[in-house]
Amino acid sequence: MIRCEHLTYRYPGASTPALYDLSLQVEEGEFLLVMGPSGAGKSTLLRCLNGLVPHFYGGTVSGRVQVAGRDPIALGPRGMADAVGLVLQDPEAQFVVDRVEDELAFALENQGVDPVVMRKRVEEVLDQLSIAHLRHRSVNTLSGGERQRVAIAAVMTLQPRVLALDEPTSQLDPQAAEEVLDALVRLNHDLGLTVILSEHRLERVVQYVDRILYLPGDGRPAILDEPRAVLHQVELTPPLITLAKALGWSPLPLTIKEGRQFVRQQAAGSEQQAAGGRAQDIAGSRYARRNTPHAISVQNLEFSYNGHPALQNVSLEVRQGEFVALMGRNGSGKTTLLKQIVGLLKPDRGRVEIAALPSSRPLDTRHAAVEEIIQRVGYVPQNPNALLFSDTVRQELDFTRRSHRLPAGDHHTLLAALGLIPYADRYPRDLSVGERQRVALAAILVAEPQILLLDEPTRGLDYRQKAALTAFLQREKAQGRTLVLATHDVELVARCADRVVLLGDGQVVVDGPVRQVMSESLLFASQISKLFRDPALLTVEDVLALHSTR
Amino acid sequence: MFHTLSWVAWLIAAAVPAFTLRNPLYLALVLGAAWLVYTALGRTSPIGHSWGTFARIGFLFLALAVPFNALSNHIGQIVLFRLPANWPIIGGPITLEATIAGAVNGLGLLTILVVFAAFNAVVDHYQLLRATPPFLFPAGVVVSIAMTFVPQMVLSAREIHQAQRIRGHRFRGVRDLLPLVMPLLANALERAIQLAETMEARGFGRIATPLSRRQAMTIQLATLTGLLSLLTGLSMLAYLPGYRLWGRVLTIAGVGGLLGGFAVQGRQVHRTRYRRSAWHWQDTVIALACALVLTALVVARLTAPARLAYNPFPPGSLWPPFNLPVGAALLLLALPALLGGRGQEARWNDSM
Repeated sequence: MIRCEHLTYRYPGASTPALYDLSLQVEEGEFLLVMGPSGAGKSTLLRCLNGLVPHFYGGTVSGRVQVAGRDPIALGPRGMADAVGLVLQDPEAQFVVDRVEDELAFALENQGVDPVVMRKRVEEVLDQLSIAHLRHRSVNTLSGGERQRVAIAAVMTLQPRVLALDEPTSQLDPQAAEEVLDALVRLNHDLGLTVILSEHRLERVVQYVDRILYLPGDGRPAILDEPRAVLHQVELTPPLITLAKALGWSPLPLTIKEGRQFVRQQAAGSEQQAAGGRAQDIAGSRYARRNTPHAISVQNLEFSYNGHPALQNVSLEVRQGEFVALMGRNGSGKTTLLKQIVGLLKPDRGRVEIAALPSSRPLDTRHAAVEEIIQRVGYVPQNPNALLFSDTVRQELDFTRRSHRLPAGDHHTLLAALGLIPYADRYPRDLSVGERQRVALAAILVAEPQILLLDEPTRGLDYRQKAALTAFLQREKAQGRTLVLATHDVELVARCADRVVLLGDGQVVVDGPVRQVMSESLLFASQISKLFRDPALLTVEDVLALHSTR
Repeated sequence: MFHTLSWVAWLIAAAVPAFTLRNPLYLALVLGAAWLVYTALGRTSPIGHSWGTFARIGFLFLALAVPFNALSNHIGQIVLFRLPANWPIIGGPITLEATIAGAVNGLGLLTILVVFAAFNAVVDHYQLLRATPPFLFPAGVVVSIAMTFVPQMVLSAREIHQAQRIRGHRFRGVRDLLPLVMPLLANALERAIQLAETMEARGFGRIATPLSRRQAMTIQLATLTGLLSLLTGLSMLAYLPGYRLWGRVLTIAGVGGLLGGFAVQGRQVHRTRYRRSAWHWQDTVIALACALVLTALVVARLTAPARLAYNPFPPGSLWPPFNLPVGAALLLLALPALLGGRGQEARWNDSM
């Protein structure tokens, strides 16, 4: 179905090729995952399949590509539209028409397809992606997962034989990502559609795919093989795979279910009892902050947006130096709570107080100006693009210092800690998602707030970038900064947080030490926690430490 | 709901009196009819809330027009009070006639806005786009994209404003706009590029039959001569009163040439329409009613023009004249509101 021979491509003005001497063959009906670090050429490869590269981007291409018997390099995207459907990352930027049904018909109308055929195809696609109930809705009122399914449906009406998706779930929360992946699996199974998908969060997809293409991105050749064979050769993998490789489990478990079998075999050795005893100690030690003063105190907070209650009777105390993770479904009030703490939103009822240095009185956000609160609280919004506007990273930091009326600093320590020294004089918007995220973080931290709030900091990051961010946050915590994190990322929470506050429908559902919450929750638990169901074991390190003491 | 073309007919029938008649009685009738149509049919539409903005702007015009006219126009016999005569512009007698004239002007603007707001709320925009002639289609697509883009940009602007505020950004002068505008522009540009990619990938703009060299030449020539002749004709009409006939001939020829060029071009674009909407008997009724409204206006203008216009200043009377047939015809504009309920249900059922 897809065949590449010695494909090399260089973007205009680039010194190194984005794709180098790539040869591969994908059979009809295959589900292929493309993985690799950011910038390894995953997006470029997908765009080669429908001719956007080189027709839309320019640059030089050599080698041959053939998709569904056609040559995209010769035909260009318009000639490939009915052979390859391409879906991009951002579900918001892909719509031409406001109404779902019209959006699906749009491409067909432009191709001059007969109205009778068109009607039939739209109906079929609405059912294939289970979005028939959304047909009259405006795309602006849909949730992220619904939008992405509509975007897939919109390319499916042209009946392509290959569906290429560029990180379609990276902007979605876990539930929405699940919806989209379910839809893809169904298309692949029922229609025999060839699906080629790039994705960072491997744990979401490895169980579904037939083969994996690994693009290392550092000049080494690409690997295309069975999932287990590829995962053996790759360094950065989901916790389950990492653990399995460290403990020598074979064949590699791809799902928690497969992993549990190995756990059961080992548990026969009755080590589990001892671990249970240790669990209590660990849970206690990580939560022993009863005596430190409060940094944030939220009391009976109520807030509603245009009559829709967003927060109901929320009470929460964060102690100085504590690392609290706010978790919960989309729309459960996580971001609203963060905005309340930084004073962007004011309580309808109840109050939020920010502790100051030991001497002065706590700040009540109802009366304090935002300018006063941000001296103590830094807030990194979900989308770093909302912040960045300067010509260089350094100027971006200078701007924050100036706005806070702080003396200019040289930023070297902060930039070094975030690994941004090589980019200090680059234009922030040219950087990758992960780098932009870190620049936004630096632009907030440069004002030296005692409390740092982060909203979904790992969205769109690959494993390497996530590991770097995790390490950075752990260091910040060790230096005594108070951190509150709103996130869906259970692995990050398992590694960093002391405490988890689970919000549901604007209310606090659970508030407790991370080990306890994770071992008791089915949804908000790390992979390792799901595997062992033991409060002492949340991360790969926990398990390996236990094994070394044996 | 009704056919897009019946709504276009309704818009024309309602907008013509709103634009041409400066008579508060007729204006009030049109305003009332448009209001009814909106409340009966437009409220459920996704952009129905924009109605509030339109109405607010209309009332603002009304509120501004009254004092503006009252203060600047000093003609009239019924003097309410006097301002010192040495005050520039506003000094002199303030008359009831001028106040009323201001109110009528404001009412006219309010009516126009409400008519368009009602049309905007009841019409299906994409159906309207489908009804546009092919040569206008690309421009229509741009408008359609803008309509999906704008709400997103508003959200994005709010997000940026909050994010910069937390960084300590304060608005003190024009230079402080930079941190707000730059990210907005950059975001919009990034989105636009992604949208362009998606549209390209979905085969947009694949014209079935490419133009031959000769066709392209013909179209360009027709457009060019059409434009030239239109411009010359219009300027003759405006500046050379002696050449009225020639002016008219040239203008008409210009419009004809342009339309011809567009038509040739439009024939090259092969598009089909997803689900042609059905024309029900209610649509026929509305179209007839609209034709009746326009006919009544034309007849009244030809036979009794004095009963249409309104001039509060002497020698006119303060009480506006009224022509019963025209008033009755204008009431017909509320017809969609009466026919609406059933038609709407039927349409939803057949599309389910």
